[in-house]
Amino acid sequence: MTDLFPVTALGDSAPRNARFGALTLSENAGLALASLALRKGQAAPAPFGLALPEVARAVTSGPHGAFWTGRGQWMIEAEGLAETDFAAALQGQAPGCAVTEQTDGWVAFEIASDTGAPLEALLARLVNIDPRTLGPGCCVRTGLEHMSVFVLRRSETRLAVIGMRSLAGSLWHALSQAARRLED
Amino acid sequence: MTRLTGGLIDRTRPLHFTFNGTGYKGFEGDTLASALLANGVRLMGRSFKYHRPRGVLAAGSEEPNALVSLRDGARAEPNTRATVAELYDGLSARSQNHVGPLHRDLLALNDLLSPFFAAGFYYKTFMWPKAFWEKLYEPAIRKAAGLGELSMLPDPDAYDRGFLQCDLLVIGGGAAGLVAALTAGRAGAQVVLADEDFRLGGRLLMESDLLDGAPASDWVESVRAELASLSNVRIMTRTTVFGVFDHGIYGAVERVADHLPVPGDKVRQTLWRITAKRAVLAAGATERHIPFADNDRPGILLAGALRAYANRWATLPVAKAGDAVAIFTNGDDGHRTARDLLAKGAKLLGVIDSRAGARALGDYRVFSGAQVTGSKGRLGLTQIEITEGGKVSWHEVGALGVAGGWNPNLHLASHHRGRPEWDASLLAFVPGQGGPQGLIPAGAAAGKGGTAQALADGARAAQAALAELALTAPQIALPEALDAPAAQEAFWHVPGKKRAWVDFQNDVTVKDIKLAHQENMRPVEHLKRWTTLGMATDQGKTSNVSALAVMAELTGNSIPETGTTIFRPPYTPVSLGVLGGGDSGPHFRPHRLTPTHGWAEAQGAEFVEVGPWMRAQYFPQKGETHWRQSVDREVLAVRAGVGLCDVTTLGKVDVQGADAREFLNRLYANMMGTLKVGMVRYGLMLREDGHAYDDGTCARLAEDHYVVTTTTANAGLVFQRMEFARQCLWPELDVQLISTTDAWAQIAVAGPKSRELLGRIVDDFDLSNEAFPFMACAPLTICGGLRARLFRISFSGELAYEIAVPARYGHALMERLMKQGADLGVTPYGTETLGVLRIEKGHAAGAELNGQTTAQMLGLGRMVSAKKDSIGAVMSRREGLAADRRRLVGLKSVTPQEQVAAGSHLFTEGAAQTMQTDQGWVTSSCWSPHLKSYIALAYLEDGDSRQGEIVIAANPLEGRELRAEVVSAHFVDPEGGRLRD
Repeated sequence: MTDLFPVTALGDSAPRNARFGALTLSENAGLALASLALRKGQAAPAPFGLALPEVARAVTSGPHGAFWTGRGQWMIEAEGLAETDFAAALQGQAPGCAVTEQTDGWVAFEIASDTGAPLEALLARLVNIDPRTLGPGCCVRTGLEHMSVFVLRRSETRLAVIGMRSLAGSLWHALSQAARRLED
Repeated sequence: MTRLTGGLIDRTRPLHFTFNGTGYKGFEGDTLASALLANGVRLMGRSFKYHRPRGVLAAGSEEPNALVSLRDGARAEPNTRATVAELYDGLSARSQNHVGPLHRDLLALNDLLSPFFAAGFYYKTFMWPKAFWEKLYEPAIRKAAGLGELSMLPDPDAYDRGFLQCDLLVIGGGAAGLVAALTAGRAGAQVVLADEDFRLGGRLLMESDLLDGAPASDWVESVRAELASLSNVRIMTRTTVFGVFDHGIYGAVERVADHLPVPGDKVRQTLWRITAKRAVLAAGATERHIPFADNDRPGILLAGALRAYANRWATLPVAKAGDAVAIFTNGDDGHRTARDLLAKGAKLLGVIDSRAGARALGDYRVFSGAQVTGSKGRLGLTQIEITEGGKVSWHEVGALGVAGGWNPNLHLASHHRGRPEWDASLLAFVPGQGGPQGLIPAGAAAGKGGTAQALADGARAAQAALAELALTAPQIALPEALDAPAAQEAFWHVPGKKRAWVDFQNDVTVKDIKLAHQENMRPVEHLKRWTTLGMATDQGKTSNVSALAVMAELTGNSIPETGTTIFRPPYTPVSLGVLGGGDSGPHFRPHRLTPTHGWAEAQGAEFVEVGPWMRAQYFPQKGETHWRQSVDREVLAVRAGVGLCDVTTLGKVDVQGADAREFLNRLYANMMGTLKVGMVRYGLMLREDGHAYDDGTCARLAEDHYVVTTTTANAGLVFQRMEFARQCLWPELDVQLISTTDAWAQIAVAGPKSRELLGRIVDDFDLSNEAFPFMACAPLTICGGLRARLFRISFSGELAYEIAVPARYGHALMERLMKQGADLGVTPYGTETLGVLRIEKGHAAGAELNGQTTAQMLGLGRMVSAKKDSIGAVMSRREGLAADRRRLVGLKSVTPQEQVAAGSHLFTEGAAQTMQTDQGWVTSSCWSPHLKSYIALAYLEDGDSRQGEIVIAANPLEGRELRAEVVSAHFVDPEGGRLRD
């Protein structure tokens, strides 16, 4: 166990949270990520019991999740395992696949609300995506304030925006400002 | 006060406002224009060129005259149309374009000089001397002409942007728009209904016509309430759809807080990009006037506007209550105004109808076959001259309404180069072919302006749109309505010798159009540019068609043959602030921060923008007052001990797959296939045309696993090119790629003591030269088990390493290295020092890899392997490229304290300095604390065989010339011994 202490993508010792009216924004610092890409001609594995999803879809199974990122490519998520060597664990589940550690390549912001409407109002301020096509279990890679992000509709009332870690500050600013302006 | 009874204003909610410092009272529901008129204020501004007194002409967004500056201080906003400025308590407005008080404008002198100021005056007069234009003529003209002034202060308000998607966008909330929205709303379609007004209803609010036997506002309210109750309908008032863009995207500005004294927590405006499958253009119509002599006095306005002020805002544009009103018309619509004004209790002089045999629709006098041929009143209308059957008579009136027919608002349908079509029965252009796909004009915008017609046409348009979307449209019950009589004759202007204004905003008269014709500026686009007709904030909404008619009369062509100018967005003015639509200041654009950013900030580092990245530029220490002091110290510390630099910004691409080796061999110009596991190799990529593209390192972590590094600037581009190669060039190869730039914090540990420092943090890892030689790489753990990657590579020319850890540990690793290295003199360094170190070592960077250089020029010609093919290899051997004799050299200033500026061009001593004798250029330069001299890197013809020669570095931009000695580009340790120690 290393004696070094990590900082979050926003440079803090603890994940950031904020509430803006109906919306709650939280930095998910515990989310482990690793990419999985199929080798040529390889059949899709089912790591951690996940049925790897089709284009623009996301699936979950217990603490694990997967979302589509490209042809034969997925990002595999694991809640609370950021401090582990998740890529190694995934490699064990998907022998022969190309697996790459991605945990610290990204920052994940989870946005929650009691109902879906505030989330959709927020989406309208952030991305040019029709909220009606981004139902639960959908994901999309798109531009947000000149940044490339993954937007995942985890459920009717929960949304994740996953952006480049180095842009965490700018992304938090964009999300929190839009959420604040929706407060009334 | 000239308030009438009734109207759609809330008399229980008085609002106080000021105009030119004088306090007035209006009511909720008023615009600034209606409230001023109700207070008897008709003079609202001065005209653009002649400084003629002007009042309102219209009652909507087409207004050309009543432009005011709204609000004060930093929030002052020039050129706001008083007709669309929603009144609020505390509003303050000022008139524009006058010297001295509005009623005694000193520049009214221009009006007396008007014979000199005809169209084309500036073009003809200020031709010479050329130098006078910028310094004298233009500033003087701009001071005299022009509209409002900017506050010159930063805008304190925020603007926002947003995206909407819908099945049907309905543009305009009048009769046609409301029916269209209701039809689509009841069909369950996703509907956005946008209207520029603060209240839905459009022209229905301004007419006295009954719907189902009740005031139209009752029906409007019932429809509004139903639409508001539908979750699939979004009503957006105060929202102007200003343009149609590609792929069904409509631009709209929502004025969120313009009607509030200050926005508070709200944004001032929001720019919406609306992606609509279909749209209904129900933007209504704009009335045109009939130019006659002196037709621009305050009190002369469009008859439909006169009717609107009376019906909706319960006011008349007369100086005092009881003043008579007259109507000048070429058709039935003028009589409609007369009838409404009578009903409102106005005193009516009568209707001057250009048609012979015209008859009254009520109890008022008709001057048939008559024309208005003149007017009087210095600051507002007092008298008009009527010519009837050759007899001329003067009449006292306080206001004159002019009705010249209605032009459909077909602007949006004419974006994308849609060409309007002439409808001879309507005497107007209507939307034609070639406009935006999926946009369906309806109601008055389609030439169907009668109330019953518009209601029915709105339903038709919505049904057509829904049918195309395979949605079932219900038939909705339309309210009972009538179409007012709308016969008219083609009567475009009153002939005469005096000035008759066509375009009020730009002071263009019938005479100016005649002059344009005379000077052969006959095509409409020429007419527009030469006379300025149809320019500026109103884009000729009230003048264009009349002007075309005048030109057609002069040329003998028909109006459709004369044609219209091209319609382009925006429909009405859009502020630049809302087009920016986002942050200003530090969040103007996103910034990428390195994992040690917070740490560097705490050390007081100065930062520099490197593309999107913020990188530490240098770390000033106590007592250092100039950046050079910091940089010299950092450079010497690295060469003497050990330095630390965050190099996370360099691109990192993870490459895996059975064919990764082959893939990289094709990507890099040099041989990469022979790289052994656990080793790193310098790699050069060429562009397809054979020029050098990017350089970096390639590390082989396992048999089928590599990490490629790129320059910071090209990280995204190189990754993109690799993806292109993988997906499109060689899809047969088994290769998987993903960027890991952000995932790993990478810190350069450079200097003779770097091994000693690293030895203190690695877990049981042999760093000896034998076990871990130059260009080795390995995964390892540090600080008690943290997984890391170590690369023995050097940009500085010293013994050096780069160590990578998961990004979240970058901050802690930097702190640990600083702590562990304190006794070794460990020194953090920034990009400036990085630059000096690499120039001293002769390593190429962005300035050398600028897209114009080849591998040979870099001295790396032999790296381009002839044993294999790679991107750009063949093209690099083509004659023109291979024959380039310029080579990378070092330059040392003959006078060490003088800098050879980067960008200087090189010449043989004594030679003329011309393009033909140019021998190369200086790419990078810096002060070398190591050599105590300014040094530089440069490309020089035959540079590799000219060492010791003195050349001239000329900097003609700054008038400088320096002598410099040609030396090896490797100023420090040319044998490379230090790297390998």
